[in-house]
Amino acid sequence: MEFFLDRLFDGISNGAIYAALALALVMVYRATGTINFAQGEMALFTTYLAWGLATKNVPVAVCLLVAAVAGFALGAVSERVLVRPIEKRSLLATLIVLLGLFSVLNASDGLIWGKGNQSMPSLFPNTLQSYVKVFGARLYWANIGVWLLVAAVVAVMFALFNKTRLGLQMRATANNRESAALAGIPVGRILMLGWGISAAIGAIAGVLVTPLTPDSLGLGEMFPLLIYASAAALFGGLDSPGGAVLAGLLLGVAEVMLSAYVPAIGGQLQEAIAFVAIVAVLLLRPQGLFGTREVERV
Amino acid sequence: MRRALPLLVRERSAAHRSLQATGIVVLALLAVYASTLNSFRLGQLTVALLYATAIAGLNLATGYTGQLSIGHSAFFGLGAYTTGILVASHNWNPLLTLIPAAVLCFATGLLVGLPSLRIRGINLALVTLALGVAFPELVDRFPSLTGGSIGLNVSVYQLLPPHWTGISIANRFQYYYWLAAGLLAIVLVLCATLTRSRAGLAMKATRDREIAAAAMGVNLAWTKMVVFGLSGAITGAGGSIFAIYLGSLSADASFTLTLSITLITGLVIGGVATTLGPVIGGLAVYFVPYWTENIRQGEASQLIFGVVLIVLMFVMPEGLMGLITRLSRRVLRIQPQPPGRPARRTVNGGPSTVINHQQERNTA
Repeated sequence: MEFFLDRLFDGISNGAIYAALALALVMVYRATGTINFAQGEMALFTTYLAWGLATKNVPVAVCLLVAAVAGFALGAVSERVLVRPIEKRSLLATLIVLLGLFSVLNASDGLIWGKGNQSMPSLFPNTLQSYVKVFGARLYWANIGVWLLVAAVVAVMFALFNKTRLGLQMRATANNRESAALAGIPVGRILMLGWGISAAIGAIAGVLVTPLTPDSLGLGEMFPLLIYASAAALFGGLDSPGGAVLAGLLLGVAEVMLSAYVPAIGGQLQEAIAFVAIVAVLLLRPQGLFGTREVERV
Repeated sequence: MRRALPLLVRERSAAHRSLQATGIVVLALLAVYASTLNSFRLGQLTVALLYATAIAGLNLATGYTGQLSIGHSAFFGLGAYTTGILVASHNWNPLLTLIPAAVLCFATGLLVGLPSLRIRGINLALVTLALGVAFPELVDRFPSLTGGSIGLNVSVYQLLPPHWTGISIANRFQYYYWLAAGLLAIVLVLCATLTRSRAGLAMKATRDREIAAAAMGVNLAWTKMVVFGLSGAITGAGGSIFAIYLGSLSADASFTLTLSITLITGLVIGGVATTLGPVIGGLAVYFVPYWTENIRQGEASQLIFGVVLIVLMFVMPEGLMGLITRLSRRVLRIQPQPPGRPARRTVNGGPSTVINHQQERNTA
């Protein structure tokens, strides 16, 4: 029971991060119809920024805020300057530009902050003693903090989408850009906003996930997370925020359980297995679990 | 009054044929000249040419058919490991392993293309991403076959040039170089022929307007699957020679997603959907990092490549090859042969009102 609960708590923490990043990917997909390959690197860049501030004794909460704002700016500017001019040409061109952005951000991290791995201070009490016992298992405050913050982000996003005028405009733009423009929605600004919010969510996820493991802030940190997140987004349906969050959580728990109970495939084959399962799902339901079917007008 | 430039040459006329022949001779002479370089440079050139081969394979799927693959590192690695395992553990003749390597990669490519029956666009790119991520993990998972994370080593003695080549052991890098150059030449001819054929038209139609292509009778799923298979086989053949040259393989070092991104970068730099673009791209992605290595431990080349990738997509989406073609058109234009009429001989110059473009326009 203890063993199981320990794993479950870890799994939910990982899953919460995947869910947040998957939500970010879905937001971009709904705005532009593409996967943002640079999503993880944007988050890494802002996480480095937060770490850099934290080393200068700035409180972690302020660092988180700065990272989120910087992420918002990075996402919005990327959309306006890099993506919008190129997306008309082709999906392939957009994807290649995003791969370019991926390289630029990753290389800049290395140039600015160096190649060595760093430890990020946590927003929450994060010592070996700061836990509560739940049925004999240790539930660390850091984990609870991650859950609560991600839950808050998700709740805010859902309220934004479903309860506000802005959310209505965003949904309309995602649904049909031209009709939205004809109805007087400032589509360009909405797109920038979508990318900005997406990158801000990524930035928060980055600042949250990094302190969970010591020495984990490195140039290769975010890419595996992005892979899990994109798997989750595909699984839940690329245009479904709810599906992405649910799939992210499921994936996080499944990953930890697999490596705990099925060592033959866990540990080394995690990413491969995650993807094989998702490809299988896609073959049966190409739109993912909760996504809407694409219908094309000729 | 006709202006002196550009010169107009009818397609398939004697003048055109002799120009093509000259071009081939120049390239061959360059290749021969390069083979006289020292062993170190030859080794570098070998790898660059193998990258070019891999990029030519990628070009078929991504450039001509519009399917972005982020998983071609896996084909390169699969080809390399097939050769490595067959030579090291089963004592095969290295050159013969090219065949099973290409066949295996072809089959894997078909498998990856299979979801294209139902998955399109961005999702297919993610399936290839899965392949690229899974490959190093699979290699590490089966160490008894692949040597796992320690790597796979083939004895140098098994990879020496065979006697009939007449190349001594000391000059063995010449052998590897000619293997790579020969493979690249075959692949380029194959790709050029394929993309100018009826099947090539179907590929480009699939890329440019899928629904319209289907309406014209192009079998989309079949086209995509087979192209992906071929693309994988070509890249895998490059990987196979890579194994012969290198002799020691490590999936975590050589065949990760970084390689996939390198190949895509090379494709864009050289020119998407051009015949010779992959050669320029292969040379660029190998030598630019080498020359900039001393600047901040390799970060610089990654930064340069990222910036180049973005800037090229904006200002020169047709890549260096496209630029060369565009500039050369100011000097020389090839007029396409009007359909249904026999080629007229010795036509050197026609009505200058005919505006011509090289047939291979890339729109990617």
